[in-house]
Amino acid sequence: MLYIRDLTKRYGNFTAVNHLSLHIPAGDLFGFVGPNGAGKTTTIRIVCGLLRASGGSVQIGGTSAPVGSREMKRQIGYVPDFFGVYDNLKVKEYMEMYGSMYGMYTRDIAKLTDDLLELVNLTDKKEVYVDTLSRGMKQRLCVARALLHNPKLLILDEPSSGLDPRARVEMKELLKNLHAMGKTIVISSHILSELSEMCNSIGIMQQGHLLAAGLMEDVMNRFGGGRNIHIRIASPMEPAIRLMQEQVGVRIESVRENEMIIAYNGGDQQISALMQYMLQNGIVLTDFHREEGTLEGLFMQLTGGGAE
Amino acid sequence: MKFRMNPIVKKDLQVTARSMRLSWGLFAYEGVLTFAFMLALLGIQGESRSFYGGNIYSYLVMLFPVLAISQVCIVSLIVPLLTASSISGEKERQTFDIMMTTCMSPFSIVVGKVTSAVIRILFFVLAGTPIMALAFVVGGLSWLDLLSFMLVISLYSVFLGSIGIFCSSICKKAIAAVILSYVLTAVICGATTIPVILRMLIGRGKPGESLLFMLFNPILFFEEYFMQVMTGESLMADELSRSDVGILTYALSRGTLWIFISAACILLLSFVFMLLASWRVNPLHGSGTRASRKKK
Ligand SMILES: Nc1ncnc2c1ncn2[C@@H]1O[C@H](COP(=O)(O)OP(=O)(O)O)[C@@H](O)[C@H]1O
Ligand SMILES: [Mg+2]
Repeated sequence: MLYIRDLTKRYGNFTAVNHLSLHIPAGDLFGFVGPNGAGKTTTIRIVCGLLRASGGSVQIGGTSAPVGSREMKRQIGYVPDFFGVYDNLKVKEYMEMYGSMYGMYTRDIAKLTDDLLELVNLTDKKEVYVDTLSRGMKQRLCVARALLHNPKLLILDEPSSGLDPRARVEMKELLKNLHAMGKTIVISSHILSELSEMCNSIGIMQQGHLLAAGLMEDVMNRFGGGRNIHIRIASPMEPAIRLMQEQVGVRIESVRENEMIIAYNGGDQQISALMQYMLQNGIVLTDFHREEGTLEGLFMQLTGGGAE
Repeated sequence: MKFRMNPIVKKDLQVTARSMRLSWGLFAYEGVLTFAFMLALLGIQGESRSFYGGNIYSYLVMLFPVLAISQVCIVSLIVPLLTASSISGEKERQTFDIMMTTCMSPFSIVVGKVTSAVIRILFFVLAGTPIMALAFVVGGLSWLDLLSFMLVISLYSVFLGSIGIFCSSICKKAIAAVILSYVLTAVICGATTIPVILRMLIGRGKPGESLLFMLFNPILFFEEYFMQVMTGESLMADELSRSDVGILTYALSRGTLWIFISAACILLLSFVFMLLASWRVNPLHGSGTRASRKKK
């Protein structure tokens, strides 16, 4: 769906985006994660044709239209991180104006507006002035606006920044619905917890580099492979420790009264083999589990290493 | 194909119609015009009493240039205010980015902004017509003169609007853009006379071809226009026929040709400014400055 190749953006001698390559397949809800200043907004603005790249290419849905061309713009719905609305303009007129900016006819826009306002739960605000809406409502209106021309790709830059918790939940529900309806969505955020609940794929960015990208589980597994294993034992500890010391690739991190923590770089099958082996050797296990992997943990692990 | 209104024009008109600024603007415009009318009337009465003993009708025709020039002055002040804030205003209120991601081309955005300013200013001018019409009824001018004034002031608004939008596209702040567009308008008026002054100094009083630069001068354009309407003569035609120059200027010295060529030249200049503005507005061409962002 969205192909980014070798994308680079330099401001003077500062490189905001550094040879970023990324493919987001159709139907994904892609979370674009990174601390402030990582280059997420810069990347998004280039994709939307609002900023000229220093190098690299962006392609959408197999067309070879250049960034910023009308054909490309038709495929993208963009919700910026900060945006304003006009005074003295009603919600339905707001929609009509942007619809006509895509060359749509008033009659078609009116019909679509009803559907979209219902989708974003703003039906009762149709006759209200946009500048009187709350921040959360404006955000949802902006999503409805971005969907007017039925783009293949919806891009939201930090959609929940500045929203109260309730508005955040509403926004998340809306995005989940859109995902279920088959839209390809890209969301950038520096808040990880909300992305991990909603996205099916992620890309982690820092200082202009894409550190990892792919399906959520894949990324977690690939980079969570080094997570520790906690083992609780009801039999004496000595034989268990000896057994572990003999194993290749196992490092004992700590031993307590009836528990030990080992570092093991194996996959799921190797871990279950390890467990079997212990049982076969008469060790009584009461607990054997891998540390819970969180996106936060992964994020800290990835970005901590590259922050020098 | 169905006619479709430029979305920007439509939105601007919708929004303007609802804002208090329109009411106050209209009030101020008519107020100034009425004031000018009163002053002119007083002046005419005084004149006519001292010379012709009460026959003021032959003087009333002077109401037309007085009112028309007042309007030209007000328009000169307002149009830059309307257009110079348009692009930088969009950036300040952070609506610019979204607009640029739609299918509106930069040129149609620029044209939309200028058109909406011209329409809004014509709204004021039309509202002032009844006052103007008095000069026609009692002053003996034809309705064609009134129509021609509408055309001339529209042209002038397009000219000012295109300068305004150009300044708006290069300034980050709306206020800077407004000031720059006043300055730029003054510079255009001044710069087009420099060749003439130089030629007069060097060429011992004969401006020659340097007069062609004056085709782009809006002040001279209005001077010619009022000369034509009031006296049927042309200052430039006189000037050109006296200074013996090539075939080009000879043609220009024929009757009213000057004013039409000058109108075309001013339109051309406006078009160039609009093209430059749309080039600057395109984020992929211009300096790529992002819209100013509010820190939360
Ligand atoms: N116009 C600009 N001029 C210079 N540096 C910029 C400009 N815009 C952004 N940057 C820098 O580029 C980096 C990436 O910014 P941005 O893409 O906004 O990050 P993010 O959205 O991930 O927080 C930041 O360090 C920022 O300071
Ligand atoms: Mg950002």
